[in-house]
Amino acid sequence: MNIPLESLRPCLDGAMPAVVATAAPDGTPNVAYVSQVHFVDAQHVALSFQFFSKTRENVLAHPYAEVQVIEPGSFRHYRLRIQYLRTETAGPLFEYMRAQLAGIAAKTGMDKVFVLRGADIYRVLDIENVDPQLQPAPPLPDALLALRRAFDHLGACDDLALLADRALAALAHGFGIRHALLAMLDAKLDAAPGAPGSALYTLASQGYPVSGVGAEVALGEGLIGVAAQEKIPVRINHRTPDYTYHAALRVADPALPRIPLPVLANPHSQIAVPLVHGDRLLGVLYAESEHDAFFSPTDEDALVVYGRHLAALIDRIAALPDDEAAPGALPAATQSGAPLAVRYFAHDHSVFIDNDYLIKGVAGSILWALLNEHAAHGRREFSNRELRRDPRLPLPDFADNLETRLILLQRRLAERCPDIALEKTGRGRFRLNLARPLALGAA
Amino acid sequence: MTLQLTPDQVAFLQGPVSMNIGAVGRDGWPCVCRAHGCVVARDRRSLTVWLSAQRGKNMLDALDAGSAVTLVVSRPATHATLQLKAGSATRVAVSATHKLASARCVAAFGAELDALNYGAQMSALVTAALPADHLVGLRLAPEVVFDQTPGPQSGKVLAGTLRTRA
Repeated sequence: MNIPLESLRPCLDGAMPAVVATAAPDGTPNVAYVSQVHFVDAQHVALSFQFFSKTRENVLAHPYAEVQVIEPGSFRHYRLRIQYLRTETAGPLFEYMRAQLAGIAAKTGMDKVFVLRGADIYRVLDIENVDPQLQPAPPLPDALLALRRAFDHLGACDDLALLADRALAALAHGFGIRHALLAMLDAKLDAAPGAPGSALYTLASQGYPVSGVGAEVALGEGLIGVAAQEKIPVRINHRTPDYTYHAALRVADPALPRIPLPVLANPHSQIAVPLVHGDRLLGVLYAESEHDAFFSPTDEDALVVYGRHLAALIDRIAALPDDEAAPGALPAATQSGAPLAVRYFAHDHSVFIDNDYLIKGVAGSILWALLNEHAAHGRREFSNRELRRDPRLPLPDFADNLETRLILLQRRLAERCPDIALEKTGRGRFRLNLARPLALGAA
Repeated sequence: MTLQLTPDQVAFLQGPVSMNIGAVGRDGWPCVCRAHGCVVARDRRSLTVWLSAQRGKNMLDALDAGSAVTLVVSRPATHATLQLKAGSATRVAVSATHKLASARCVAAFGAELDALNYGAQMSALVTAALPADHLVGLRLAPEVVFDQTPGPQSGKVLAGTLRTRA
């Protein structure tokens, strides 16, 4: 091909509908609109299969077609000669296209009509620039430069809490992203990461009225859940109710204590990028915008690199050794006021303070253990190492993410109950500070 | 056997629509080309559609070789879509009136895209991409009309004798 397929990615982003021409076995031509022509790799595209149609009947009998796509910023047309290979009805490509189609459908008022049945994979055999005399579209903003600016702002960092905050702030410096969050994978306690029941929890956010730290997303739920489940970046260019979290929260069991995700009510663009180190998923970086098509295909590429870099940094920080020496003990601050009623529910390790939900899961069990240690022995100084060995804590043997759970707990306490505080005193060491007396009770 | 288009279909075809024409080349490859509008004959049994001689070279080769022809017409604002099929198309001269009519069709299509916020100055881009010079006229007499509006009714024969789905 004399025109690289990669150069056509702005045409393959669902901004303008394409048309595909096929031929019946008797030579009768057929032309149909296709909502999505998706870039797969340098030699392949995928067309959305939404309805059983003459197009489908034709390509199954005679697998050669011509698809015409349009560059949105110039209205230049390109024609691709393509050969049908197969249809995928599940997996990463299908999930990506399903999410993007939801955005296209919502934008065009077809959200009840457009449903992805499959991703039809075609080999691209030839590309023709139909309008060589027309000016090309203005170039997209330089995503590589944006990435470099983001890296410059991120800098060197050996503290996970600081890294999480800087990682989000750097997105604003590099890419102009104002709304973003970092969600970490929280494997089900008795299952491998990614197994059913796994979830992600929000460790840090930026650009929202409330932080939403501790908010959970189930694997496969919304864009963040899909990115985690399939370990793929997913990007939607238009507002769609199918992938907004408010809809999901409304149908959730109101009896369950949940922290709402701090997301925009009606994002017009969304992107979720997995944080993968090696082949291990650590979490998801999610960003959104009030503007349509805010994230370009090259932004997606750059954010994938950014996500991998973040994952490597997180993994490196987790591997750093804890400080050996315990800090000198300080006199306890004076406690005053009425006792805080702390209730613990063992079945899900949830903790309530004065009947307000605080946290659950591993972070909840850590807090309960710390408060009981303090009540029984007056201890205030703790180390990560002893927590890892504590049989009361349901930490999985592998990749316990203890540090991220402590950051989550620390931030949740700071927001909801500042009378109980965790103060970092060194790498792998922290202090429990109590401003009020406690009344502990387990249910 | 040709059919007579309904007045509604005629109004639709001559409205603010996107048009693409398809054929099958001598080598068996299907081909597609954007059309620059059309005009329906007074008896509503044929229409003349215009396309760029340069952009439609493969299309014209295919039609010269005797390919059947298909025309897909869609209104961006509603997604209402018709597909018309005919056994052949014949070239006709393009008059000054035809050029004016083509320019009106293209302008209406561009204005529709602008109204739908398809991007800054889309109508100017559309007009620049689909000029009314160097046009070729193709006359075709539809033998079947399909509803191709996305949805469960897509593929329904609205008029004609063919029984296949569009």
